[in-house]
Amino acid sequence: MSLILGYVATLLVTFFTYNIFVIGLNIQFGYAGILNFTVITFMAFGAYFYAVFVMPHANNASQVFYILGLHWPWPLAMLAGVVASGALGYLVGLIALKRLRSDYLAIVTLATGTLVYGLFGNNNKLFDGWSGLFNVNQPFQSVATNHPNEFSWIFVVFSGVVMLVVWLFANRLYASPLGRSMRAIREDQDVVDSFGRNSFKVRMLAMVIGSVIVGIGGVLTIQYIGALSPAGWTTGETFVVWAALLVGGRANNLGAIVGSLLVAVVFNEATRYIPQVPSHPNLIPNLRNVIIGGLVILSIWFRPQGVLPEKKASFLEVPLVDKYAQGFPGDEPENALSPAASEA
Amino acid sequence: MANSILEVKGIKLAFGGVQAIDDCSFHIEEGTITALIGPNGAGKSTMVNVISGTYRPDEGHVIFDGKDVTRMPNYARAQHGLLRTFQISREFANMTVLENLLVVRQGQVGESLFGALFRAKSWQAQTKELVAEANEILNTFGLYRLRNEYAGNLSGGQKRLVELSRAVMAKPRLLLLDEPMAGVTPALIERLGQHILELNRELGISFVLVEHNLEVVEKICSRVVVMALGKQLADGTLAELRSNQEVIDAYLGGGARERVGS
Ligand SMILES: Nc1ncnc2c1ncn2[C@@H]1O[C@H](COP(=O)(O)OP(=O)(O)OP(=O)(O)O)[C@@H](O)[C@H]1O
Ligand SMILES: [Mg+2]
Repeated sequence: MSLILGYVATLLVTFFTYNIFVIGLNIQFGYAGILNFTVITFMAFGAYFYAVFVMPHANNASQVFYILGLHWPWPLAMLAGVVASGALGYLVGLIALKRLRSDYLAIVTLATGTLVYGLFGNNNKLFDGWSGLFNVNQPFQSVATNHPNEFSWIFVVFSGVVMLVVWLFANRLYASPLGRSMRAIREDQDVVDSFGRNSFKVRMLAMVIGSVIVGIGGVLTIQYIGALSPAGWTTGETFVVWAALLVGGRANNLGAIVGSLLVAVVFNEATRYIPQVPSHPNLIPNLRNVIIGGLVILSIWFRPQGVLPEKKASFLEVPLVDKYAQGFPGDEPENALSPAASEA
Repeated sequence: MANSILEVKGIKLAFGGVQAIDDCSFHIEEGTITALIGPNGAGKSTMVNVISGTYRPDEGHVIFDGKDVTRMPNYARAQHGLLRTFQISREFANMTVLENLLVVRQGQVGESLFGALFRAKSWQAQTKELVAEANEILNTFGLYRLRNEYAGNLSGGQKRLVELSRAVMAKPRLLLLDEPMAGVTPALIERLGQHILELNRELGISFVLVEHNLEVVEKICSRVVVMALGKQLADGTLAELRSNQEVIDAYLGGGARERVGS
């Protein structure tokens, strides 16, 4: 019984954190049209920086090396992780958003991801290289060590609340004039510029907000598991997030949730429990990628807008002052120019 | 003489080997509708791009309202009231017609992140007002019943109307229209012309109208600037230009003559 409870809790936490990743990507891609092909790097940034801020100084005798080790309280360390991830977003934005169109931006993000992956993996002084960080201090630490199941459920509530805040934030942003500018930039950046908006600034904002949100998801991930190594954030993970967004429906946060439920939880988790084939240990994980890839192709083919497409904006109907109810001035040019007609 | 709201001086711009604009100068008087005409490839669209800040000229200056804006990015020029439309309609396709208009109004409370998050009441009220304003503009342009349609689903002519109503929503001081009548039915051309006249008279918006249809030019433009081969060839009223041999050779003498007569 307690095993099942623990499993359900883990599923829920996975669901919530993926929601957060997908909403972060949705703000970048669904709202502002930014192709970020290294979502998972931002997750890793959040997680790793949380870890090195919350953990005590590295103990060299244990042969585990990492920078900082400030032993901050976890809420502050959480903030540090999120700031780090946002800062990475800002940096990538500086390189790529100023001059490059979206396809080149995509290449820059891919390059960034590969670079960070290699750097963090090969340099074992930063975040302990390929072996990664473990025994990372968790929130509600005493519960976590003594009653793992209770911890899981406390964390379900915690991550659920965080997700809810992110969700409310994302929806308010979407409906606001700022969100509208973002979507207009997605449609045609030059036109937005020529109407007096600095589209670079707005895109940068979307880039950083998205990175911050993905970073929050990263912090939650490492807080729950207490460990992270590069094997946990391979390039493939980025495409799970992308698949969730595309299948669920871009520019629709409800779609993002449906997508992460379908892709990240149902498919990803379900395939995890198919028994391993001893002679081919990689068969199942690879099959999982094949299935997710297939799902994306099918959804793009049959429902290009996703399961839940972007909602059409609707506004409160405002009564119209019908200045031209009697037809158009073009019909009677003389009349249109007379003072009587121009008086509203 | 009226103030000139816009002056271009000695503009030169080359694309590789093509000298698209070659030492071109002219000015636009405040509160007028001025036509910019010339044969295909004369450099009219390029000039619109230079004036609006989409292109930087190799040489020369653009002076808007007494300020040298040559080095100013396009969005900053737009903030000063210098706006343009595009020769090919560039609507925000996956947004409704109404949203297309709402986007372009500057100075909304919810444009900043702080405002968007923490002053929701305020921008919601403002949006309501803007919707009312946008509806009126859309009604003027005959688009009211299409206001909740995706702009990408409209016909070519309707997209031209969206382009123009969007520009009106942005409250320009000087509006550069690059062939707003292209691909529009004759009845609609008539109406668009009337709208432009009205906007000019009621709101005091100055216009530069790039246009091949001389009938329209004759009806609504008080002054005409002729460009050919990247240079300013002549300016004056259309009647004056009709007797100008150079202009006739470069432009009026060609296929355009039939259109004048039609
Ligand atoms: N981006 C560009 N790259 C290279 N050449 C260009 C570019 N834009 C314009 N040109 C060239 O500059 C010249 C002027 O073009 P422009 O579009 O300004 O003409 P136009 O007067 O607007 O013509 P039309 O009446 O056909 O619209 C043409 O020879 C064109 O080929
Ligand atoms: Mg042109």
